Amino acid sequence: MAVAQFFSKLIPTDLFAGLRVTGGYFFKKKETVQFPEQRKEPADRFRGLFGYDVNRCIDCHLCARACPINIIFIRDHAEYEEIDGKKKKKLIVDRYDIDVKRCMFCGLCQEACPTEPKSIWLTTKTYEGANYERNETLYFTKERLMSWDGIRAYPGVVPPDHGHAPGNPTGAKTGGGEAA
Amino acid sequence: MHAALIQFIVIPVVKIAVILGVVLLVVAYLTFAERKILAYMQVRLGPNRVGPKGWLQPIADGLKLFVKEDLIPAKAEKAVFLLAPAMIMIPALLAFSVIPFAPATKLFGLLPKAIPPYVTDINIALLFVLGISSIGVYGIILGGWSSNNKFSLMGGLRSAAQMVSYEVPMGFAIIAVLLMARSLSLVQIVKAQQAAHLWFFVPGILALGIYFICGVAETNRNPFDLPEAESELVAGFHTEYSGMKFAFFFLAEYTNMLVVSSLATIMFFGGWLRPFPNVAWLSFLGVVPPVIWFAVKVAGFIFVYMWFRGTFPRYRFDQLMQVGWKWLIPLSLANLVIVGAGVLLVKG
Amino acid sequence: MGGPLEPLFDVEEMELSFGPQHPSTHGVLRVMLKLDGEKIMDAKPIIGYLHRGTEKLFETEPFPQCIPHTDRLDYVASATNNQGFVVTMEKLLGITIPPRAAYIRMILAELGRISSHLVWLATHAIDLGAITPFFYNFREREEILDLFEAYCGARLTLNTMRIGGVPFELPDGWVDRCSDFIDRFPAHVDEYEQLLTENRIWKRRTVGVGVISAEEAIEMGLTGPPLRGSGVKWDIRKVFPYDHYDEIDFEIPVGTNGDTYDRYLVRLQEMRQSARIVRQCLDKLPDGPVIAKVPKVLRAPEGMVYASVEAPKGELGYFIVTTPKGTKPYRCHVRPPSFINLQALPEMVQGLLVADLVAVIGTLDIVLGEIDR
Repeated sequence: MAVAQFFSKLIPTDLFAGLRVTGGYFFKKKETVQFPEQRKEPADRFRGLFGYDVNRCIDCHLCARACPINIIFIRDHAEYEEIDGKKKKKLIVDRYDIDVKRCMFCGLCQEACPTEPKSIWLTTKTYEGANYERNETLYFTKERLMSWDGIRAYPGVVPPDHGHAPGNPTGAKTGGGEAA
Repeated sequence: MHAALIQFIVIPVVKIAVILGVVLLVVAYLTFAERKILAYMQVRLGPNRVGPKGWLQPIADGLKLFVKEDLIPAKAEKAVFLLAPAMIMIPALLAFSVIPFAPATKLFGLLPKAIPPYVTDINIALLFVLGISSIGVYGIILGGWSSNNKFSLMGGLRSAAQMVSYEVPMGFAIIAVLLMARSLSLVQIVKAQQAAHLWFFVPGILALGIYFICGVAETNRNPFDLPEAESELVAGFHTEYSGMKFAFFFLAEYTNMLVVSSLATIMFFGGWLRPFPNVAWLSFLGVVPPVIWFAVKVAGFIFVYMWFRGTFPRYRFDQLMQVGWKWLIPLSLANLVIVGAGVLLVKG
Repeated sequence: MGGPLEPLFDVEEMELSFGPQHPSTHGVLRVMLKLDGEKIMDAKPIIGYLHRGTEKLFETEPFPQCIPHTDRLDYVASATNNQGFVVTMEKLLGITIPPRAAYIRMILAELGRISSHLVWLATHAIDLGAITPFFYNFREREEILDLFEAYCGARLTLNTMRIGGVPFELPDGWVDRCSDFIDRFPAHVDEYEQLLTENRIWKRRTVGVGVISAEEAIEMGLTGPPLRGSGVKWDIRKVFPYDHYDEIDFEIPVGTNGDTYDRYLVRLQEMRQSARIVRQCLDKLPDGPVIAKVPKVLRAPEGMVYASVEAPKGELGYFIVTTPKGTKPYRCHVRPPSFINLQALPEMVQGLLVADLVAVIGTLDIVLGEIDR
């Protein structure tokens, strides 16, 4: 018994089991994704950079209120116009700023948005926002939110002012209305 | 006079230059090989951006290390700190002066008479290699001590203990080979294997195992890489080194791997001999130059080194000592007795 | 040895500041060590390098908006953090969640547990010198993160549960993808075991290292694998079932010796059990809504509530105090498992070597985001 134990210690089968695993993987297909050339396509719900559409925005401030770290700043004013003899109040968004460098991409603003389709959304598949000047280039006004000035969009994705809407990042016309 | 000049100065200088160049290049590419092999075992691709398929990576690494800022800690023992990298690199390279890569050759008829491609063949070559490689440990100890860093110091101390305990079984394993070859000259050891019609790893399989394990420990490689155990000692003895001095430590490790693998090839796998050197119908294998056979065998050992690194966890310091003293030394002694008895029986 | 010998030289203990910048302190843990050679005479963990005031932040946020902040406690298993908070809030508000929501939560939490344990195994192995399991583990973790991404759009900080249920319906094909992964997963665990479990070096590094007895473990309030490794069958999912864990059949793996090796085995078994739970949840997944009717603005009654969930690291509890009709927590205390497990460190490393300290930090599976909050 002790002798058998001695020899089993001498011949390290336990070590060979490990060597077999690593040696086997030596010949298997590799998992590496060669990043700039190959990209994993983000999922449809991937929370990427903001898309914003000022035309759909009803200026309800729900997104700003839903934001856990208060990085959405909205300034607006009311304009009154006469439609069919009635005075109607219309809210105009003067500023819609997002301090993207502080954003944690929780997606609560998108969930809070009551318009249909959403006027603020994160399903843009775009994630390359690294910049040298974070205070300038990662602070987004409403124009930059729509044009994505200085951000590299995910290949095929177009900025909102080129027709990008939630659920349709390429901006392709899909016949019927845009689906949320 | 003229002939003597050629024989004693020109030829050795050329040989040394060529061997030094080749060895350094091979060592540089060993780093690349290691990264590639580890990557392939770890389901990734490894470096493949610099040059075609990443083949210029070692050059880029070298350049990077060369132009990096060379820091010397304020409280370091400066002279020793500067000396240590040289003390580990020079002995590692010196060992190559006696390692026979191939038999005397006319270089396809280019030379008037056959010249051995190795620098020299001294009759105590094996002792020389062992002695010279033991000096390397001073580089580690002094480097660790002079950095004035606690992690470095611990790395250096571990290394000292490790080297001392693993030299002993390594020596015993080598004695087994000496008994079979009856010579300390590395060239004679290869020739003895040719004459015996047998590579020594068959009778000396245990000796080979012990030698290789000790070799792994001597070169501070996983699973015995305690002196630089990254997850414990940050970077061990070379924590404070940067730039080219770090590169020296780094390259010396690979050079030592090459030395250990070369010695293993020479002592146990017939050096430059082709497989089954005495089987006539395999003589077509002789077309391949001997130096290629040598390189292939060495590469096999190097691969095993990297395979180990890719697979095993690291021993703890005290366990390393246990393995050395409680297992390897008794085993190598027993092996010595067995081989000695075998040699007596066979040769009478 | 005989009696204590008079030392020939002056002997000093070496003080070593292990961390906060160190490859194997799993973040920014700092351990002040007193060393005799390599032997640890005393170890004192120093924390606070990652303090972000999360508990104070909770006091400024309406209840639903606390959830993204909980992601950042134990950032390698954020699903269970979300779960802990929403379970506590539901207990306070008396909300019953739809069964489908509960099942989706369990799937997410168990996937999170697997991914957390994969990170643990990867880092633990790399701490002990085995670099390759890291890559295999992260390959599987990648698939889990892809599943998370497909479900809620984020990979690490999920923010994937809401008070009253979960925010989204499962996307098309998600169940098939998930069950495909779960079916393949146990084979991968076998692979890790081949690399490590029987490996003599691995065993020598872990067996008998960092032993803690069941009594000590209970006394110190350890939970999770460090407690179960000592043989105590304690799992919040079994003893105080939340969501629908009582409908699921699974076992609680326990160890016997309370050493690093047993905790390693326990966690590997837990991965298999988690895969089993996910499998059952996918099979039983009921139909129906994924979120209960919850008012847009949550107003809590005055009171205090404590509820806990079994996070990968142990019992994760939230203690919330509310004011009448308050929309924000008056006070929210988090009981982080890592923080309480960490206090066993000095006991466990006493008299061991520096190399073992690394093993013990690894086996406690601490996440500094949770310790410092």
